[in-house]
Amino acid sequence: MGRRRNGPPRGGRPMKSKPCVFCKENVAYADYKDYNMLRRFISDRGKVRARRVTGLCPQHQREAASAIKRAREMALLPYVVGR
Amino acid sequence: MAGEADTRPEEANIDTYEAMLIVIPELDEEQVENTVGRFRTIIERTGGEAGEPNHWGRRKLAYEIDHRTDGFYVVMEFTAGERTLVELKRILRVSDDVLRHMVVKLPPSYAHKPIPEPTEVTA
Repeated sequence: MGRRRNGPPRGGRPMKSKPCVFCKENVAYADYKDYNMLRRFISDRGKVRARRVTGLCPQHQREAASAIKRAREMALLPYVVGR
Repeated sequence: MAGEADTRPEEANIDTYEAMLIVIPELDEEQVENTVGRFRTIIERTGGEAGEPNHWGRRKLAYEIDHRTDGFYVVMEFTAGERTLVELKRILRVSDDVLRHMVVKLPPSYAHKPIPEPTEVTA
């Protein structure tokens, strides 16, 4: 896909690429049981945060998202907060 | 699922699975143990090997399930025989004392690692 990666963005200062936290911590498997860790990747509404917010790499964002969904299924994380 | 029935892989690549159950809060600790024991027997009877269950204890659910706000969480690792998964899932589905269950295959690199948890046990 023709999306720009790490080059300097049009206008503004050049992007500093932040390493993905999962890559940095060498996480082999995004565990759905570790729901407190997954809390970092959901909004206070309970929604999965976008990659531009979480700073995860595509692979780990996907893994985190499925872990969140598993955790929701087992009532470890909420589907919606404040209803 | 394995395609060919009798080409059982040797020890080298036997998959480890993990089951998580939410048992209804009406039971007491001992009954929960019995319930889990029942599933361990099923695993072993069908040719799998059940690990020690990890009892998280009674926890609050993130949302209500069947008008219940808490439940006993139990996590257990096991290896599966040929019929284990089908049989286990079937029995789990019809068990009235299990609110919810989930069986996942663990990545080979992750199996047998100590499990982080449990925290915040709310009575």
